[in-house]
Amino acid sequence: MATAQATTRTASGPPGSRPLAALRDRPALGKLLLLLVIAAVAVPFAQARWGGGVWPGALTVDLSGPLGEVNDWIIGNRDSHPLFLYFFGHISNAVVLSVRGVYLALLALGWAGVAAVAALVAWRAAGWRLALTAGLSFLVCGLLGMWVPTMQTLALMTVAVLASVVLGLLLGLAAGLSDRTFRVLRPVLDTMQVLPAFAYLLPVVLVFGIGVPGAVLATVVYAAPPMARLTALGLRGADAGVMEAVASLGATGRQRLLSARLPLARKELLLGLNQTIMMALSMAVIASVIGAGGLGDRVYQALSSVDVGAALAAGIPIVLLAVVLDRTTEAAGRKAGTEPTGPAALRGVRGWALAALIAAAVAVVGRFTGGRIWPEDAIVGIAEPVNTAKDWMVDHLYTGIPVIGGTADWAAHFTSWILNPLRDGLQGLPWWAVLLTVAALAWTIGTWRTALTAVLAMAAIGVLGVWDLSMDTLSQVVAAVAVTLVLGFGIAVGAARSRRLERLLRPVLDVFQTMPQFVYLIPVVALFGVGRAPAAAAAVVYALPAVVRITTQGLRGVDPAAMECARSLGATSGQQLRQVQIPLARPALLLAVNQGVVLVLAVVIIGGLVGSGALGYEVVFGLAQGDLATGLVAGAAIVCLGLMLDRVTQPTARRQRKES
Amino acid sequence: MSEAGTPVFSVRNLWKVFGPKADRVPGSELADLPPAGLRERTGCTAAVRDVSFDVEKGEVFVVMGLSGSGKSTLVRCLTRLIEPTSGTLAIDGEDVLGMDTTRLRELRRHRAAMVFQHFGLLPHRTVLDNVAYGLEIQGLGRTERRAKAAELVEKVGLSGLEDRRPAQLSGGQQQRVGLARALAVDPSVLLFDEPFSALDPLIRREMQDEVVRLHREEGRTMVFITHDLSEALRLGTRIALMRDGGIVQLGTPEEIVGSPADDYVREFVRDVPREQVLTVATAMRPPTAGEGDSGPALRPGATVSEAIEAVARSGEPVARVTEGGRLLGVVDHACLLDVVAGTGAREVTV
Repeated sequence: MATAQATTRTASGPPGSRPLAALRDRPALGKLLLLLVIAAVAVPFAQARWGGGVWPGALTVDLSGPLGEVNDWIIGNRDSHPLFLYFFGHISNAVVLSVRGVYLALLALGWAGVAAVAALVAWRAAGWRLALTAGLSFLVCGLLGMWVPTMQTLALMTVAVLASVVLGLLLGLAAGLSDRTFRVLRPVLDTMQVLPAFAYLLPVVLVFGIGVPGAVLATVVYAAPPMARLTALGLRGADAGVMEAVASLGATGRQRLLSARLPLARKELLLGLNQTIMMALSMAVIASVIGAGGLGDRVYQALSSVDVGAALAAGIPIVLLAVVLDRTTEAAGRKAGTEPTGPAALRGVRGWALAALIAAAVAVVGRFTGGRIWPEDAIVGIAEPVNTAKDWMVDHLYTGIPVIGGTADWAAHFTSWILNPLRDGLQGLPWWAVLLTVAALAWTIGTWRTALTAVLAMAAIGVLGVWDLSMDTLSQVVAAVAVTLVLGFGIAVGAARSRRLERLLRPVLDVFQTMPQFVYLIPVVALFGVGRAPAAAAAVVYALPAVVRITTQGLRGVDPAAMECARSLGATSGQQLRQVQIPLARPALLLAVNQGVVLVLAVVIIGGLVGSGALGYEVVFGLAQGDLATGLVAGAAIVCLGLMLDRVTQPTARRQRKES
Repeated sequence: MSEAGTPVFSVRNLWKVFGPKADRVPGSELADLPPAGLRERTGCTAAVRDVSFDVEKGEVFVVMGLSGSGKSTLVRCLTRLIEPTSGTLAIDGEDVLGMDTTRLRELRRHRAAMVFQHFGLLPHRTVLDNVAYGLEIQGLGRTERRAKAAELVEKVGLSGLEDRRPAQLSGGQQQRVGLARALAVDPSVLLFDEPFSALDPLIRREMQDEVVRLHREEGRTMVFITHDLSEALRLGTRIALMRDGGIVQLGTPEEIVGSPADDYVREFVRDVPREQVLTVATAMRPPTAGEGDSGPALRPGATVSEAIEAVARSGEPVARVTEGGRLLGVVDHACLLDVVAGTGAREVTV
């Protein structure tokens, strides 16, 4: 339609201005032409100087030497250098002590006490229904024989979340009250949120070594940005009218902050808390790779020996923890600022006091009757039956089913028909062609700024000397994103047109969006074994809910007046979709692509744990072998890849949307 | 004017210019440029240009103008919620622009309280705590401020709603909370910034009555911003009509309607039912012999529509305008019809 318009307009104009007018109508065309001109000049030169194919060796910098030296220096000086003795040492000790303290406190509370506390907090924040879920969830953790790992994870998370919230609040306050800090901090926070969790592991290991302190700090670094971002946005978004009224009454700066600005931002603060807790859980599980212990470690160990039953036994508590934490904090955020309900005797302080009293009573009774740790004889071992079921699946579903094949066959076909050609194609593409493609995509979708960042990030990967590995990772990301988008858009169009489908999907999406990335590896390993295809499948499953949700909301959010207008003109539902809904929902669609890419990358990288190779494996390998130089280079490449993929798909609208 | 003592607000040559290097505009040759020209030359907008007026104690001073005329900026300049660019501004004879932060805060806490178009209530507080907010800011104890707030909640007619949140109230009720909050600090002057524009016509009328009642009962000085001419005519002791940041005409409602200063004002007041605003003092003529003996007697402040009613009821040809038993003049059918038709050549003598 746009072309038709362009041609009719140019046809009527004066003949000389035709190409110019065409360019003016379609700025993307102009950008591409300009890029073509640059390429025409630069490519022959680059080709002659460095050759085509993979990134030229002359342009790489080998960092493994210097990085290895840094690593050696740190290991050599960890116990003697003042920086470690008086700074990192203290941090490390404080972290170990506080995690230990929380862990002991949880154990002292006993299983009955912990379950009661969880249930009562959920009751106060979200009502009795969630209280039941919370209490039952903890009992299930015990039944599965995962009480101690669950408490370890919980202890680590508690400390990490507290630290993240304090750090996030401080940063958020600074950015919320000072424009300059906001301008500096915001791109940093935005970028941190798109980087895969794995990228954060190596730098902390470099400084703190493998163990709990490193795991907690990695979690804090990963989980604090949303708190900081939302605090800043909440403080800045305070209703200007209210703030003016408060100023007109003669409030001091401090009064304005405490009695108006902070309470007005309550919703954002609680949303920040929710996101921080969820990210902390996600990272606390992944950080098992660097010695976090707990549930994540059980999953990690089980996956490395392909023991699906054991992995599932540890994975279920993770999912339950995620659901309970998410629903409780989400309900608290929803309730903020609304009228208190329920009987007057249970409101506010009195309700909490009652909850504390009951919890204390249950804990004491529990201690005297049951003891601290979940009783051994009340454990239901699910590992074996699950493994039996899995073996049956291996025998019957993996391969050889007439007509449709088997899951292993599908994985093999996906690998050999899609992943391999894609990888070989990307690796065989001349390096300058990759850079040009990146530039063209980023520039047409976004601005020259995003294009520049993307190209520089891509070039940095080449300079780091991991071009081939990164192309491998990229091929998996591209394949998984393509599948995600096809499925996601299909489902979303359906959900946008049928209320019933949307209602059916909503609870499923809710649960799927809460689960930590790591957990997705368990079912795909059970279904498809190990390799690149299962990792891609996990990535698709992980990214799909977000894509479906954003797209559905975008399609549903289309101005009803425009839809009504189209209907009144007699448009069929197909025409409505193509000519009204999709064009108007373009920003949402682009955002869905962006989110899909970011989420897929995160899981493809973690896929290194289940044999997807490439950059993720390099990180795991570096950690396992103590070869931090290799891991760090791979980590840096992951950062660059994440940055590039985000910028390439970053629509200009996203920035504007966030401003408002 | 002098008999009223020191004016509550005394504003002289006040300017507020938005834009880069705003302070070069007032007093230079740029000051005489029309708005579009000024924006083109300097990138600045003069929201308030060279405004001077006094607000006398006990009056309702209405500032009226269409949106973009600078009236909201002007009222914010009075307590320096927006910092004026130049000019002088005094409250009760005390210079406002020279005040330091502490004194300015005192001014806002005790002397001038404001009611806003969009209420500006704190959504997380109950009605009672919203009303008590100004007192809390001043550092008053909890019991004391709540007792005072409860009094005012009662006064604005919100008894029984003390524990509601603003979101649970209707627009009119929310604005009553805003009014109570402003009254709670017992200010010497109340500033209203288009307080009723966001309300339904019926509720608006009710709230206007509330303001009239408050003014009658307490005699509080008020500065009232509005874009609604009928509201201005109903409430205003005096009206300042603004356009493009400047005051076009300043006078009583009768002066504005009866003798518009220029075509802009004339166009503005064209549809006003003149007989309801103009008084018989304007419409009367000297009596001819014998006319002063019969016919209904009217005060000079009676409106023309009241005179029409009186004349029609009595069946007499004229009505007498008297003050303290003294005959000032008479109005006959012709005088009254002239006012209604707008054909009277007479202009109001100030």
